[in-house]
Amino acid sequence: MKHHTDIVNRLLREKLERETQAKTRRHFIKSCAQGMGGLALSSIFMGCDPLQKPKAIAQNSFTERDLNPLATLAPHYGPKVKSVIYLHMAGAPSQLEMFDYKPQLQKYHGQDCPQSLLEGKKFAFIKGTPKLMGPQAEFKQEGESGNWVSNFLPHFKKVVDEVAFLKAVHTDQFNHGPAQLFMHTGSPRLGRPSIGAWATYGLGSENQNLPGFVVLTSGGNTPDAGKSVWGSGFLPSVYQGVQCRSKGDPVLYIEDPDGISRNLKKSTIDAINKINKEEYAKYADPEILARINQYEMAYRMQIAVPEVMNINNEPEHIKQMYGVEPGKESFANNCLLARKLVEDGVRFVQLFDWGWDTHGNVREGSIDLGLRNKCREIDRPMTALIMDLKQRGLLEDTLIVWGGEFGRTPMQENRGNKEMAYKGRDHHGDAFTMWMAGGGIKKGASQGATDDIGFSGIEGRVSVHDVHATILHLLGFNHEEFTFDFQGRPFRLTDVEGEIIKEILA
Amino acid sequence: MQQLLGRLHPLIVHLPIGFLILVLLLQWYDRKANEWHKVIAIVYFWAGITAVLACITGYLQYQGEGYSYDSVKWHLWLGIITAVFCFAMYLKISPKKTVSFLVKAPISILSVIAFVLISFTGHQGGNITHGEAYLIEPLPNSVKSLLGFEIIEEKELALTEENWEDALVYEEVIQPILNSKCVSCHNPKKDKGALLLHSKEGILKGGESGAVLASHSKESELYARMVLPMEDDDHMPPEGKKQPSKEEIKLISAWMDAGHPFEGTVKEIGLKKDLFISFFPSTSYKSHPELEVPEASQDSIKSIEKYGIYLDPISESTHFLSVSCINKPNFKDDDFDKLRPVREQIAQLDLGGTQVTDAIFEKLTQFPNLSTLKLDNTGLTGNGIDALKNLEYLHTINLSGSLFDQPVDIFSSFKSLEKVYLFKTKVDKKGPKSLKDGQLILDYGGYELPPIPSDSIIY
Repeated sequence: MKHHTDIVNRLLREKLERETQAKTRRHFIKSCAQGMGGLALSSIFMGCDPLQKPKAIAQNSFTERDLNPLATLAPHYGPKVKSVIYLHMAGAPSQLEMFDYKPQLQKYHGQDCPQSLLEGKKFAFIKGTPKLMGPQAEFKQEGESGNWVSNFLPHFKKVVDEVAFLKAVHTDQFNHGPAQLFMHTGSPRLGRPSIGAWATYGLGSENQNLPGFVVLTSGGNTPDAGKSVWGSGFLPSVYQGVQCRSKGDPVLYIEDPDGISRNLKKSTIDAINKINKEEYAKYADPEILARINQYEMAYRMQIAVPEVMNINNEPEHIKQMYGVEPGKESFANNCLLARKLVEDGVRFVQLFDWGWDTHGNVREGSIDLGLRNKCREIDRPMTALIMDLKQRGLLEDTLIVWGGEFGRTPMQENRGNKEMAYKGRDHHGDAFTMWMAGGGIKKGASQGATDDIGFSGIEGRVSVHDVHATILHLLGFNHEEFTFDFQGRPFRLTDVEGEIIKEILA
Repeated sequence: MQQLLGRLHPLIVHLPIGFLILVLLLQWYDRKANEWHKVIAIVYFWAGITAVLACITGYLQYQGEGYSYDSVKWHLWLGIITAVFCFAMYLKISPKKTVSFLVKAPISILSVIAFVLISFTGHQGGNITHGEAYLIEPLPNSVKSLLGFEIIEEKELALTEENWEDALVYEEVIQPILNSKCVSCHNPKKDKGALLLHSKEGILKGGESGAVLASHSKESELYARMVLPMEDDDHMPPEGKKQPSKEEIKLISAWMDAGHPFEGTVKEIGLKKDLFISFFPSTSYKSHPELEVPEASQDSIKSIEKYGIYLDPISESTHFLSVSCINKPNFKDDDFDKLRPVREQIAQLDLGGTQVTDAIFEKLTQFPNLSTLKLDNTGLTGNGIDALKNLEYLHTINLSGSLFDQPVDIFSSFKSLEKVYLFKTKVDKKGPKSLKDGQLILDYGGYELPPIPSDSIIY
């Protein structure tokens, strides 16, 4: 009994103590509200050092940009494109069966890989001495440019003269997660903003009813690196990619709950914002303005997003051209959606297609079978995407980037030093192919070359940072000046590297 | 202390200049009444005092900063003469009339002489600090040669896909880079660091720190200074001057690695094409006319934005705007007048998906700098579109998804038109694919990807 009284007494004492503390704090704040407000403001504006914002943003006042974080802004110099569609083949497609034709490799097929090539190299699965494996596809020079395309991509060859190839891209990462992070954020570790976040942060977005950065995934899985590949890192979170689903509700929880009418929703938001505005009048915290804006944006998105994400209204011949499968989650649907989004002024559309990791351990992951299926799945849609953007006059305002996180080895994978069930290739970052098409890109160009067996780049090697520098350049940014201050130093997408790949620019 | 006083010279010299200007003004106002002699004398007195101060500080600067007597002698003696002249004038004009010289000369003429004296002295001083070519430099080349000055070509390097192999390596590649980025300081008139970079002899001779060339660029002073960080004092060109591009530095380094030949073409020396690509003319898409337009007023921009129309500056380096009605699908002909205040600034106009009618073509002619015009997905039939033919910069019109039904030949009279999108319009898809000898491309779209057997093969 005594024990109980002790506890009650102690709780009462604690309660009293807390109350006193709270009261004094409240009193203190109230009595010097003005002084504190001033202090808070000064710290806000000090944090708003114009140097802290990229050049393009410095001209907008703090609250204005905060109230409308997606307001459009001027880039450093005249941009060549307004939007980017980035097609990422998650898992890393084999350049040796798609674009990088190596007839010499066929000659060495089945021979041991020379030790000199293996020394000091790290592979994800290859052990001991693997055997070289010749190209498992047939190649032909296509179009006026005479660039090589394999028979795995029978449609794509029709637009080969629209694209510029990068034949010798290299990365220093050989595992999917870090390599994907590197490809999309410029760092293999977590925490950096993705390209799309940088683009929307720097340029804002035209359509006020849609997010500036939309992500669409297909292939049954999201990328290994998780959502960080479209994250905003240390940038304000409003710039992160919004993942839309191509089946079901495009954005989760965007529909009003049953029994709640749109009018009721509107009056709810109005009421909340009225309170928020009163809060703002009292404390002048710009975060409150941002919140008000987000409520209104979400309300507008409720109408605009389902509309733009609905491909059923497209004419039949367009659906056929892309090969869409309404109601399913497919790369074709996503390509058509990408066109619709860009048409509606979305700044950055990021497509991830999963299932390109062709080690040869399973049938779907084999170079001669599974890869062909994956190629078929993207061949028609990505070709249609280029054609469709072109006929609508959108291709000159849009940049399309295609690639994986790395390439694949010229050697057949010998996981556990054993022969595998299917033909496969291991992860390989020394040389792989990417392509770009659209505004500012030199049509039919091909930059860089690999050695006879496609192991390393021997000419025109470009790094992931170079690719980033080029994308930012086309959007109108000087990648060396486009920075964000974080943890005491300015950060760039390209870190301290990156050179614009002028050879593929028109 | 001596040095500090010396460095105040450029400040103090402006005092006598001011006083002598004041003298001229006073005399002008007093030209009829002739009553202000006393005042003018006092101003002369102070002009003299400050001129003496200027002489003293000037002398200290000449001693302290290591100028040679030859370079300052004119300035020095003219300065002293000016100071003496001022005092003489004071004594002449002042009521006491203690000195009488040049009795017959009117005071106004003498004052003009005083002013000319000090102007000339000041100009000499300016030449010492800024160099003799300081005022000549910004003049256009035609005026320079008229004045008898040697012109150093400051043209940026320009090569083409066709001629790059035949360019003379030194004469047509390396020297032009040096001319545009280095020679403004390293020329015979202004040989900073005793280095001349305007000729083969100068480059070979080197400067104060010795040779600038080396058989390997990494050991060369010329190369090393260009790649030093900007913060380094030894970095060249100094901060604030025009910097060579990475590609130009690469070219200089490749030239040195090839043994810095002064003869021979690019092909003979064997420099690779990728060194030159960035100097080829770019055919990139023109986002706006190459013109200067005044900045649109913030008020008009704000009021148009309030109306739901987006106005984006095309870039930081121009005042041209890109205007989009993407958030205002109910934009009508009448709303057009809202854009009038920025009609000069609009280079890109997107009216896609709006309610505009054919009446807008007449209105669009008032937008002289239109470059890109998007009229897609509208109800336009194109009746009256030929009104746009005189728009000087209009290069792209997008009519896809509109009801356009005019004969496409009308576009051949358009001045700078390069591209017209006609997908999903009422025109015949089998019309000409280009006009004006291929300068104007007509894109009817309707691209197809017919099914092929492999579409359905699953492996």
